[in-house]
Amino acid sequence: MIIETKNLTHKYSPGTPFEKVALEDINLQIAEGDYVGIIGHTGSGKSTLISHLNAILQPTTGQILVDGVDLWNCSKAERIATRFKVGLVFQYPEYQLFEETVYKDIAFGPKNMGLPEEEIDRRVRESLAFVGMKEECLERSPFDLSGGQKRRIAIAGVMALEPKVLVLDEPAAGLDPKGRDEILARLKEYHAQTGSTVLLVSHSMEDIAKNANTAVVMEQGRLKMHAPVEEVFAHANELSGMGLDVPQITRVFFSLKEKGFDVRTDIYTIEGAKKEILSCLRKGVGRK
Amino acid sequence: MIKDITIGQYFPGNSVLHRLDPRTKILLTVAYIVLLFITKRLIGLAVAGLFMLMVVLLSRISLKTVLKSIKPLLFIILFTAVLQMIYGGGEPLFPTVSWLSWLSWKGVRNAIFMAVRIVLLVVGTSFMTYTTSPIMLTNALESLMNPLKYIKVPVHEFAMMMTIALRFIPTLVDETDKIMNAQKARGADFETGNIFRRAKALIPILVPLLISAFRRAEELADAMECRCYHGGKGRTKYRIYHFALRDLWAALIVAAMFAVIIIINIGII
Repeated sequence: MIIETKNLTHKYSPGTPFEKVALEDINLQIAEGDYVGIIGHTGSGKSTLISHLNAILQPTTGQILVDGVDLWNCSKAERIATRFKVGLVFQYPEYQLFEETVYKDIAFGPKNMGLPEEEIDRRVRESLAFVGMKEECLERSPFDLSGGQKRRIAIAGVMALEPKVLVLDEPAAGLDPKGRDEILARLKEYHAQTGSTVLLVSHSMEDIAKNANTAVVMEQGRLKMHAPVEEVFAHANELSGMGLDVPQITRVFFSLKEKGFDVRTDIYTIEGAKKEILSCLRKGVGRK
Repeated sequence: MIKDITIGQYFPGNSVLHRLDPRTKILLTVAYIVLLFITKRLIGLAVAGLFMLMVVLLSRISLKTVLKSIKPLLFIILFTAVLQMIYGGGEPLFPTVSWLSWLSWKGVRNAIFMAVRIVLLVVGTSFMTYTTSPIMLTNALESLMNPLKYIKVPVHEFAMMMTIALRFIPTLVDETDKIMNAQKARGADFETGNIFRRAKALIPILVPLLISAFRRAEELADAMECRCYHGGKGRTKYRIYHFALRDLWAALIVAAMFAVIIIINIGII
């Protein structure tokens, strides 16, 4: 297990009238190399949860273990070191760009790690390639780029840390469908190529369905489900009850089932749907 | 960390203090500041302190919050007090102890006097903002400064600028927090190193913050224009303030306190 949380609870402004329980008793285990989607409604505690994973927030009670290190029961240096193990990309990361050139901005993280110049250079170019940007832009100011490009540079800035776990909070929010697909496709490729663990926070079921292997469902600060994606989507009714959108294709199969067709309901990709429909037709199963 | 700062914050409520006309509150706060500065004796400050205690109780804001508002200024208060103590002059308090020769009764008195004055100053002015929403505050300022219009001072524009500035303080604080976290996630270190290193470490925060402030300003300007904002000319107010009986009472109490302190100053009591 690369990440493990034990009875993690977080309260905002504890002891004041504004006290709010954001996370309650979370026991989560993330396997190394997994691609995990974290789904939940706004305010379900997704963002609070991931801010704990690299020690930006301290839990009110409970433990977080990253690579076996208890984050709040170790030396400060070790805690800082986990920041490089768990790379966190916050929402709207393009607002954190500050350097004069794209190159310098991506190099900011590796520089803080104290890496030698050549290693930084390699990482900058590699992460730039991962996010699908051309090397020409390295000497440009990040502020001259378009919104989607800025976002990619910011993500590259975290990838350059070469973290064991890459955590992204709504990396596709506010982008047009094309930019959205592009970023998610890049992430999938990054996951496949580097073999590192990826955590994708999203409220879009479609995105999770298309990309993740495992899904974590959060509701009102609690962990509701943690299972392989197909298993989670088989509980489509429960998910809808939590105000989450089930992928369109899954809804189609639920309707088919209701109408009396003998089909599986854990279908969440177009590919899977095609297969299922074809096999159905081949079996010659019609309405009962 | 940044969120602990309570100066300029507003605590919604419905106490007498909250209902007081904001103009009264501004004028009386100014009067209170003047009063703190004309007081010459500790007993005068005690009267002012008692008044503040009454205000705190009336406002129904917890004493803890009030103490919290002083916390960021603790250093300045202590610093002033220590300086006063060292450079107090006067007769040594312990003439027999040589290394304590700088300590005099006058110095101690001055130190206490200064510390109490600063505390009351901070608490007094904080209470105006604690019990008055920023909107009310600027409306009141606008109304108080209205006469300045005749000498071509753009009063309304100033008031609007202040409203906007106040409105965006929490937003910017939030934003600072977010940017700090994002840079921390990339290994930025704001806590170690000497003062120059720390100042340099602030660049990754300040640049994005400044950029987002400009972006927000532009968006806000557009939004205001879309709603046909064109300055103060011909603009009417949704809420028009009227002085009430309680304003008169408040003014009378402060006037009475003034009288008491002047009497104390002259030395009759």
